Amino acid sequence: MSDPTRLRDYGLQSERLLWPTKGPSRFEEELGVEELEQALGITTLEKAVRWAQTKSMWPDTFGLACCAIEMMSIVGSRYDLARFGMEAFRSSPRQADLLIVSGRVAHKMAAPLRQIYDQMLEPKWVIAMGACASSGGMFNNYAILQGVDRIVPVDIYIPFCPPRPEALMEGIIRLHEAHLAGIPPAYERKQVAT
Amino acid sequence: MSTTLRHVGRTRRWPVVGDAIYDGSRIPARVPTVLDVPPHLRDTDDVLTVNFGPNHPSTHGVLRLIVDLDGEEVVGLSAVVGYLHTGFEKNMEQKTWWKAITYPERIDYVGYQNNELVFVLAIEKLLDIEVPEKATWTRMLLCELNRIHSHLVFLGTSALELGAISMFWYCFRERENILDLFELVAGQRMHTRYFQAGGLAEDIPIGFFPEARKFVENMPSSLDDYLTLLDRNKIWLERTQGVGLLSSDDAIALGQTGPVLRASGVDWDLRRDQPYLAYEQVDFRVPVYTGGDVYDRYRVRMDEMAESVKIARQCVDRLERMEGEPWIADDRKVVLPPREELHTSMESLIHHFKIVTEGYRVPAGEVYVAIESPRGESGCYVVSDGGPRPWRVHFRAPSFAALQATATCSQNTLIADLIAIVGSLDAVMGDTDR
Amino acid sequence: MSDFSKMPGYVSTKEEHGETTVVVDRAHVRDACAYARDELGFNVLMDVVATDYLGWAGKGVSGYIGTASGRDLNAPMTQGLQALPDVKPARFSVSYHLLALRQGAPRLRLQTWLEDGDPVDSVVPVWPAADWFEREQFDLMGIRFHGHPNLARLLMDDDWEGHPLRKDYPIGGEPVRFSPAE
Repeated sequence: MSDPTRLRDYGLQSERLLWPTKGPSRFEEELGVEELEQALGITTLEKAVRWAQTKSMWPDTFGLACCAIEMMSIVGSRYDLARFGMEAFRSSPRQADLLIVSGRVAHKMAAPLRQIYDQMLEPKWVIAMGACASSGGMFNNYAILQGVDRIVPVDIYIPFCPPRPEALMEGIIRLHEAHLAGIPPAYERKQVAT
Repeated sequence: MSTTLRHVGRTRRWPVVGDAIYDGSRIPARVPTVLDVPPHLRDTDDVLTVNFGPNHPSTHGVLRLIVDLDGEEVVGLSAVVGYLHTGFEKNMEQKTWWKAITYPERIDYVGYQNNELVFVLAIEKLLDIEVPEKATWTRMLLCELNRIHSHLVFLGTSALELGAISMFWYCFRERENILDLFELVAGQRMHTRYFQAGGLAEDIPIGFFPEARKFVENMPSSLDDYLTLLDRNKIWLERTQGVGLLSSDDAIALGQTGPVLRASGVDWDLRRDQPYLAYEQVDFRVPVYTGGDVYDRYRVRMDEMAESVKIARQCVDRLERMEGEPWIADDRKVVLPPREELHTSMESLIHHFKIVTEGYRVPAGEVYVAIESPRGESGCYVVSDGGPRPWRVHFRAPSFAALQATATCSQNTLIADLIAIVGSLDAVMGDTDR
Repeated sequence: MSDFSKMPGYVSTKEEHGETTVVVDRAHVRDACAYARDELGFNVLMDVVATDYLGWAGKGVSGYIGTASGRDLNAPMTQGLQALPDVKPARFSVSYHLLALRQGAPRLRLQTWLEDGDPVDSVVPVWPAADWFEREQFDLMGIRFHGHPNLARLLMDDDWEGHPLRKDYPIGGEPVRFSPAE
């Protein structure tokens, strides 16, 4: 009994002890690990952390143009964002998790946008809200950055001009689901600097 | 019709060269839009330069203010704009007249239908086309609803910045009702693209009028609720009264229009003094206050909301009797024919084809059309060369002019007052930067 | 209808679509504006707009239709030939939109014509509101306003090269990819 890692080392009786010839269960086979108890412990902790992160993902006040008005309306009482724990829009990017780029990004604004993104701490996500943030929208010209993913890695793109509050909420919920499922934030997936 | 004395038509005579600013003006003498740090404070350690960068907690979009502070007092101010410059005017030159109508809405994205209206009115002025009555009254109704929407957003966000946080949720609750009406009539909450050169894009759907009537019946009581929330609130009064003073002469010299001008005592409203659409057929009052401070601008907008509800009710009354009338002009060179006709008439098919592919042609000329948008006079200068695309489109943005007054209003104020002042000028950055 | 011929630098008047456009000489713009403000009572400057007419009525440019002798498709049922859009005196026009705050809301457009590189006197001493309007036209069109207290770029970046709204400046942007293959 070198290190007490098994339940029976602690004196607990599991069904494996009572049934020594029992093979690995389906769940164990899927997980592919020997030490079931250890595997359960790690997975559950990560999941718990992810759950907590999704339930309080605070956005940064980055409203630029028309989409900002729709973003303000999800804070309103009809499309209540507080039920997701996200009504606390942080003014300081250092306290924010989520950057919802809502509106068209002019080239003059691109540098402040990158600065704000850099000031955020990991883990951080970016939602490109609206057509202008996703791809430049209807403004294919000299002044507008053609898609905010040229300077920041984007997790969720939300189309429409401007997206309905429900569309923005769907984007946010999908982000939550993706994070809960273990998909890493965009800067990790795309291997870019944060 | 106004509550206070008229200041209209008074011109100041001041010298053209030499001493640029007249006696009694508070406009900074060197550059009208920049407050310079006074000489005795320059090169001392007392002055702290703070950047209210493009991204800041207040909800006014990407305005950058470079503020010099002596303690808490604002001693120097200069505004940097252009963080939302979208190149609307150049983009619209590349599109046909029809496609270009989608662009102006995004300029002033809070009072979006007013911008659309001014561009469509300019096209119609050049085309010299007759717009049916139903379209005119519907446009008026939607623009007044949009005015209420814009003032609600102003109220919610300004109160939020000054600390009256609950107002945000009350205002946005009412705003949702208005957006429901827009969605009913045009299919989309914001940026409805409902106005067309010649009238409206579609007929008013069934079921709109009961909803509209419900709204105009319920809105006045909601407005009374808001008034009681803030109107005699001691903190609100102390934070807004006497702050951000702008005299009537300065307002006229700085090209202000709209609520800012009316709060400074000048009785001027384009809906009454240069009526467009059908404003001479409706009954409304123009609120004018003489204080010239933030509180009076707030009062002007609150009163304007009540007046807009009155106008909306009169529009709904009138429109309910216009069931079945045409909603767009009949000129087939400009307006698409009804779809049923395409199956039977060769000319309609050709017209449809020409209008959709090449676009209708607008006669050569230049016009300037101005309307009273929620922020002031919104104007559109259009130059046409007779072709399917505009040659030059320029929008006179009321927020652009309003922001020029920031330096004048912010003399001898504290930094907390600066937030109130910028909020009261109600500048939308899309409108400013275009 | 006021008599505009006494305006300093007066060149011509035009009435169209109910609007009055008075063309003045480039050198007398500030005096003309002061005359309009003081004598004629147009006390509010609404807007300063510059328009670039490079390529106006040229073949292949938007608006040109038909043969060299001109065609106007706005006249209904006409296959006939009418005049091309009229030739403009110079490349740039600067229009000042003025409003008088009195009964009837009279408006006036003061217009002046200039070529590329010609300076115009700034009207900031007449109306302080012209400050940002002129800066914007300098930024986007390259019109130099002589005597402006702070003529710097306003809407574009400080180190931007070129004047975007000119007709010889490209629209920019990028070609749209319609499939991943492009």
